[in-house]
Amino acid sequence: MRQSSASNVLPIDTPRHSDPRTPRGEGCVNVNAHRLLDIFSLMERFDRDSPDGFALCSVAAEFMALDGAIIALTNKGDALTSLCTSNVAAGALMDLENTLGEGPTMDASRGDAIEDFDLLRTTTTNWSTYRPEAAALGARAVFGYPVRLGAIRFGALTLFRYVPGPLSANQSLDAYLMASVIGRAILTIQAGGSPNRLVGELSSESPLNFRVHQAAGMLAVQASMSVKDALVFLQAHAFGTGCQLTDLAQRVVSRSTCFAPETQEWVDQSAEGGK
Amino acid sequence: MNRESLLIATLVELADNLVDDYDVIDVLTVLSLRCVEAIDVDAAGVMLASPVGELQFVASSSESMTVLELFQIQANEGPCVDCYRDGLAITNQSLSESDGRWPQFTPLALAQGFRAVHSLPMRLRGRTIGALNLFRTHQGALSDDDVIVAQGLADVATIAILQHRSSIDANTLNAQLSNALNSRVIIEQAKGMICQSTGCDMNDAFNRLRAHARNHNEGLTYLATRVVGKVILPNDLDDWAAPTPA
Repeated sequence: MRQSSASNVLPIDTPRHSDPRTPRGEGCVNVNAHRLLDIFSLMERFDRDSPDGFALCSVAAEFMALDGAIIALTNKGDALTSLCTSNVAAGALMDLENTLGEGPTMDASRGDAIEDFDLLRTTTTNWSTYRPEAAALGARAVFGYPVRLGAIRFGALTLFRYVPGPLSANQSLDAYLMASVIGRAILTIQAGGSPNRLVGELSSESPLNFRVHQAAGMLAVQASMSVKDALVFLQAHAFGTGCQLTDLAQRVVSRSTCFAPETQEWVDQSAEGGK
Repeated sequence: MNRESLLIATLVELADNLVDDYDVIDVLTVLSLRCVEAIDVDAAGVMLASPVGELQFVASSSESMTVLELFQIQANEGPCVDCYRDGLAITNQSLSESDGRWPQFTPLALAQGFRAVHSLPMRLRGRTIGALNLFRTHQGALSDDDVIVAQGLADVATIAILQHRSSIDANTLNAQLSNALNSRVIIEQAKGMICQSTGCDMNDAFNRLRAHARNHNEGLTYLATRVVGKVILPNDLDDWAAPTPA
């Protein structure tokens, strides 16, 4: 079966470094940077009504030009709770998943992205109860995306629409972008960042870099907590001390700042003149 | 081994790795290590584009913090960014203070002893998904043959991303890219835990993770996930000893 895939290797572009230039923007994904700003401006618009992250579903549905969105949070013990739903149908779909214990939000929160773009025509056996009942509620296509940061599972974003069909290539890229913004928003909210300034927090923070993830791992051991709690703790300390998360992470990784479990306090070596 | 034999050995090793359920980060790490040998460069690494179009590091021939920093800074600027944006190879770009092309990247690369840099696009159906980055500590051009070999290895790296190659529509590709980038984050989280628990540095933390994964025939990402989930304790990972020069 592997052997037969040799022909599939062909889609790799054969023109080499000397190929004529592809027009910029065509097939080039970094033109997508403006989409992040689109999300932020939608958040500002919706946040006037609901300043605590609950508007993120409406933002997601509008940003993706789909009929509804669900954001659910993973709790300890793998259970899901709804953070928000964009409309009545979304609420009903979330209730349905919680009742049946199956569906796209459940699967995406534990695994990879999953889509079912025609609930009434799928031949697979998954969600055998969910599919007809979700369709009865009006949904025909559902798309679930994990909201995650490495091994940390915050929950999932589920999008749906009333007509069947797959997402376009750009919509699919937008969905991953939306899920990553939601992850960062949840981290900010859980770390006590000012919810009425969510957009400000998100747009002023530097992107999470490798040191932030390493520092979360180190702190998880120092403070005997999960890496998820450690990342939230780290972000909360950055907020509390008014520094950037990436700067704090750099100090943790270089061991100039650590959390002392005995005293339950942060110790800053540089502040005490130590080395 | 001459270059031809080295290349054949590399391709056989990579083909051997690309079996069912292979770990993308592990394969790309192998590929980076072999680049260093086959193209006579001093460091190599793979960067992939995030959904917003920002390049992120996924695998390298070295996990030292200084090399990772060189990839990190290319979230903003550097040869990979230019290569990714234009979909064109950048070869034989010598680095010098006076060249203002990459004001953040160049001084950092020079400070780490690098004198020349190359970047090869990872392209698929008209879309550039990332770049292979090569560093040399001495100036001197890659030959035309070197460039062909390097682009060939960049193409292998692209194939490695497409884990389920039977369907490579845009949505599937986005999912594979997202998973590869997320795998790297899991590994960084695990490295932090190993580093704190065992007192080793980040480079050794990665090597220990990789050695254990190989010894026990486990995927690197799967093992890292179990470390982060505290299913396996850092101190229970197999020891890793730096290979002694033959």
